[in-house]
Amino acid sequence: MSGEPSIFFADVNERQGSFLRRTFVLGGVSALGITALIGRLGQLQVVQAQEYATLSSQNQFNFRMVPPPRGLIKDRNGVVIAGNRPSFRVLVVRDETKDLDQTLDLLGRLLPDTLERRRAIIRDVNAASKFNPVPVKSDLTWEEFAKVNQYANELPGVMVDMNEARYYPFGGSFAHVIGYVAKVSDRDVKAIRDKGEQPPALLFNPSFRIGRQGVEKALDLSLRGEPGGNRVEVDARGRVVAEDIGGSRPAVPGKEVILTLDADVQNRALEVFGDESGACVVMDVRNGDILCMMSAPSFDPNLFVGGVPTKTYRALADYERKPLLDKTLNGTFPPGSTFKPTTALALLEAGVDPNLTVFCSGSYRTGNRTQRCWGRHGTQNMHDAIKNSCDVYFYAMCNRAGVDNIRKAGLALGFEHEFDIGVGNQRKGLLPSTEWKARTFPRDPVWHPGETTSVAIGQGAITVNALQLAVMTSRLANGKKQLQPRLIKSIGGVEQPSGAEAPDLPFDPAHVEYVRQGMIAVANDRSGTAYRQSQLGLGDIQMAGKTGTAQVRNYGTGSRKSEIWALKDHNLFVAFAPVDAPRYAVAIIVEHGGKGGATAGAPRAREVMRTVLLKDPDMRARIERPLPPEPTGAAIVEDGVVGAAPEPDVVATPQAPRAAPTTTSGPRPYLSEPRR
Amino acid sequence: MTASALSRPGERERVSTKIGQIDWRLTALLCVVSGTGALMLYSVAGGSWSPWAAKHLIRFGMCLALMLALSMINIRYWFALAYPIYGMALFMLALVETPLGYTALGATRWLDLGFIRLQPSEIMKIGVVLALARWYHGASAKEASFHWKLIFPVGIIGLPFLLVAHQPDLGSAMLIGMTGAAIMFVAGLSWRIILPLIVAAAVLVPPYVMFGMHDYQRHRVLTFLNPEADMSDKGYQIVQSKIAMGSGGPLGRGFGLGSQSQLEFLPERQTDFIFAAFAEEFGFVGTFTLLACYAAIILISLRIASLSHSHFGRLAASGVTATFALYVLINGAMVMGLAPVVGVPMPLLSYGGTVMLTVMIGFGLVMATRVHRYAELPKGHGLI
Repeated sequence: MSGEPSIFFADVNERQGSFLRRTFVLGGVSALGITALIGRLGQLQVVQAQEYATLSSQNQFNFRMVPPPRGLIKDRNGVVIAGNRPSFRVLVVRDETKDLDQTLDLLGRLLPDTLERRRAIIRDVNAASKFNPVPVKSDLTWEEFAKVNQYANELPGVMVDMNEARYYPFGGSFAHVIGYVAKVSDRDVKAIRDKGEQPPALLFNPSFRIGRQGVEKALDLSLRGEPGGNRVEVDARGRVVAEDIGGSRPAVPGKEVILTLDADVQNRALEVFGDESGACVVMDVRNGDILCMMSAPSFDPNLFVGGVPTKTYRALADYERKPLLDKTLNGTFPPGSTFKPTTALALLEAGVDPNLTVFCSGSYRTGNRTQRCWGRHGTQNMHDAIKNSCDVYFYAMCNRAGVDNIRKAGLALGFEHEFDIGVGNQRKGLLPSTEWKARTFPRDPVWHPGETTSVAIGQGAITVNALQLAVMTSRLANGKKQLQPRLIKSIGGVEQPSGAEAPDLPFDPAHVEYVRQGMIAVANDRSGTAYRQSQLGLGDIQMAGKTGTAQVRNYGTGSRKSEIWALKDHNLFVAFAPVDAPRYAVAIIVEHGGKGGATAGAPRAREVMRTVLLKDPDMRARIERPLPPEPTGAAIVEDGVVGAAPEPDVVATPQAPRAAPTTTSGPRPYLSEPRR
Repeated sequence: MTASALSRPGERERVSTKIGQIDWRLTALLCVVSGTGALMLYSVAGGSWSPWAAKHLIRFGMCLALMLALSMINIRYWFALAYPIYGMALFMLALVETPLGYTALGATRWLDLGFIRLQPSEIMKIGVVLALARWYHGASAKEASFHWKLIFPVGIIGLPFLLVAHQPDLGSAMLIGMTGAAIMFVAGLSWRIILPLIVAAAVLVPPYVMFGMHDYQRHRVLTFLNPEADMSDKGYQIVQSKIAMGSGGPLGRGFGLGSQSQLEFLPERQTDFIFAAFAEEFGFVGTFTLLACYAAIILISLRIASLSHSHFGRLAASGVTATFALYVLINGAMVMGLAPVVGVPMPLLSYGGTVMLTVMIGFGLVMATRVHRYAELPKGHGLI
C-alpha cells in the first residue's frame, strides 16, 4: 500500500451512502420475504387449517380391511364339505427390509422352496407399494412357522401371520360339484369392469379367493360375506401404532350353504368307481333332492386354493380320463339301452299294444341295411323287450311312434334340458327330431325311418348327461310328478324350493307303470339283463333298473373288446329302489367301461344304492324288522306308522292302491327267489 | 459503544472492552432459535434426546463459543486473510474433482482427508463473502457500479459457483451465487446492469430447467410446479409438509403431539422439513414468533453492517446476513410449497453440523465487525 490513495474521500462517502441505501433495500426485501412466508403460513394454518386437519387424520387413521370368513358348504346332514382352516403365512414388507436380496437369502435357508420361486417373489414384492406386506409363502407347517418366528429379529421386514384358507376335507369327492376357490385373476377383475361395475375392494385383498367352479362359483356372492374394517392408527410405513376399537366394524361371514348331497353316498360313489372314469348321480324320487353327484376320476380341489403349479395342472388336464371334466353335467354320452324305457313309453303313448310281439332272430333289416341285436331273443312283447333289452323289438316298433314322439317323451322325462340346480355350465345333450335333421343336414333334410331305429335304442346322434339319466329314472320311479332336481337345500338358512313342486308327467299312469314293471324285471327276473348284479341283499327291498351299453364306434363292431381305452363302449345303468315304494334313483355312467351295462354299471349302482338305503332310517327299520307275511303291504303300513316319508302324496301315488308289483300283469314271480 | 471505550488509547483492544461490545440481543436470538431446534429434534425423535437433540445442543454450544472467540479477532486479520481463505476454499473445491473427492448419493461434495470429511462448498460460502468484501473495499464507487473491473467480482463468484454446480450441488451453488449477487447489489451495482439481468434470467431460466439440468434437479423443479403429480417421492414430501403445517392450525397440536412428524409421514423431519414439524406442533403462533426471531436476526445483522466504519466490514457483515436470510427464505418457501425441494436446511433449527458451523462462523464475522467497527483498514487494492 504505497503512493497515493486510490480512493478519494468523496468517493468513500458516495460508496457508503450507496451501501446504506442498498442495505436498506436488502433488509426490506428480507423482511418482505419473511412477511410473505408468514402470509403463506396464515393461509395454511389459519384459513385452510380444517382442510389440512382432515388430510392429516386420513394419513393417521387407516381402515384395515378384515376379510370375512367364507361361508361353509355342508351336506344334508351338516357335514362340512367346504370349510376354512387356519393358515400361517410369511409376508415381506419391502420398506422394512434393509436389502431384499439378503432377506430372501436368509429366508431361503429357513424355507428352501422360496428360493425356487424367488424371481416371482421379487416381482410381487416390487409390484406392491413399499409399505404393503406381500405374502411370500402360505400354509407353513408348524415347524416352519416356529423357525421363522425364532429368527424374526434377524429378518427385518419379514412377518408371519395367520389367516383362513379354504379347505375341502373330502378332497376329490366333491371336487366337481362344489368346485374350488382360487386367486382372483386379472380376468375376473376385467369381467366385472366389462359389466360396468366397480370390483369390490375385497377382491384385491391378498388372502381373498374367488369361486372358480361348481357351487363355489355359482354362489360366490353369497359365500363371500362382507368385509369388516379395523380403524387403526398407522405411521408412514403403514405400521399399526394403535387400534381404534370404536371405529371398527366386524366382518360379516359368508352365508352357509347346505346342499342336498350326502357325504357318505358321495364318498362311496367315488370309491366304487375305482380306476374307472364316469359319473354317478343319486336322487330322491320323492322330492328331487340330489344325494350324490360325483364325477370320476377326480382331483384334489385343495391344490387350487393356493395356486396350482402349471405342471400339476397339465398332468390333470392332459390325462385322457379327464379328471377336470364334470361328467355329471358337462359330459354327454349316448344313453344306449337306458333310453329304451323312454322309447317304450313313447310307444305306449302312441297307442302301441304292449302285447304285440316281435320275433328277434338277432338282426333286423330296414331297407338295404341290416341292424343287429346283441342277442337272439325269440318272440318278445314290450315287457320282454325291456327286460332283455332286445334291440330288434324297438327297431320294429319305433316307427309306430316316430322320432318326434320319442323326443316328446324324452323331453317330458328330462332329456335335452338344462336343470336349474344352482350351478351352471351344463351341457344338455341332444334328442334328435325331424326338425333337427332338417336344420342340421340341409343336404339330406328328410328323416328316414331307418334313423329312428338308432334313436330308439339310444344310439346315434342322441346324447344325454348323467343328471338327465337320474332325472329320467326319478320321474319314472315317482310316476306322477315331473320332478325337478335340487342341489342347493338352503342358502343362509333360507330353504330353496323343493323339486316336488312340479307339474304332473304328461303320461298315462298305467303306461308309466308298465315301463316300471319292465325295469323291475331287468333286475329281479332271473332272465333280466342285470339280475345277478342287482341283488341288494337288504331284506325284501328290491331294486329296479335298466342296463345300457353305448357303442363308441359303429354299433355292433365289437368295440367292447377294443384294446384302446378311448374306443371301448360306455356302460350305463339306471336304477331305483325300493320297487314297491320308490325312494331313490341312481344313474351310473362308466365311460369306456368296455364290459356291459350289467357288468360295469349295475354293481356300482347296487353298492351306491345300498349305502343310500342303509342311511335312510325307514329303510333300516324295514331291514331290521322280522320278515312279515305280506312284505309290500307291510311297507305301506310302515310308512304310515313311522310317518317318515316327508311328502307321502308324491310317493308314487298311482301304484299305492296297487296291492303289490308282483300281482300286476307280470309274467314271473320273482319275489319268491330265495335269499342267501 | 461507551464513551470510555473511545476515550483512552488501546482501550478498544482490551478483551474486556470487546466483550462489552458483543451484541447480546443477537446472541440471545441465536440461542433461542437453536434451542427451539433442539426442542423440535427432541420431539420428532419421539421424545428422546438421542439421536439428534443432544448432539444439536452440544454442537451449538461449541459453535457459540467459536463465534464469540471469532468476534474477538480484529477484522484487520479477517481482511488480511480474505483472499487466502478464498483461495484455499477454491483449491479444495478443485480437489473435490480429483480422486480425493468423496461421492455419496450421486454427488461428489466431500473432500476426504482421511481424518475428516470436509464439504468445501460450505467453507466457500464464507470465502466468497470475504473475497468480495475484500475486493470492493479497494474499489471506487464507480468501479462498483458500472465498470469493466466488475469482471473480478463476477469471477470471484463464478468460479466456485461452477465448481459447486458441477458436483452437483445446485442448492449450495445457488446460495453462493445469490449471496454474491446480494453483495454486488449492496456494493452499489448499477441498475443499468441489474434490470437487464433480471429480464435475461426471466427469459433464460425455463430453457435451462428443461435442457441444462440434471434429471433429478429438473424433476424437483417440475414436481414443485405440480406436487400431486408425483406422490411417491418429492411431491409426497411437499404434500406431507403442507399437511403437517396446515393441520397445526392457529395454535398447534401441542409439543410432541404432531401426528405427521411423530408417525413419520413428514420426510426429513429432522433436517430440511423440521420447520414443518415445528409448525404442526406450535401452530401459527409458533411459526409467527419463530420467523419474527429470524427477521430480527437479519435486521440486527444488517444494522451491524451499516454501523461499520470500514467498507470491508460493511460488506462482509451484510454478505453473511444475506446468506443467512437466503437459507431462511429458501427453506421456508420450500417447506410451504412455494419453492422446489432443494437441500437447503433451516439454519440453526435443522439438525446438521456443517451448516451450523458455517452460519456461526459467519455470525462470528458479523460480531467481529460490530466489536471492531472502528478498525482502520488499509485502503486500495492490496493483494494481502
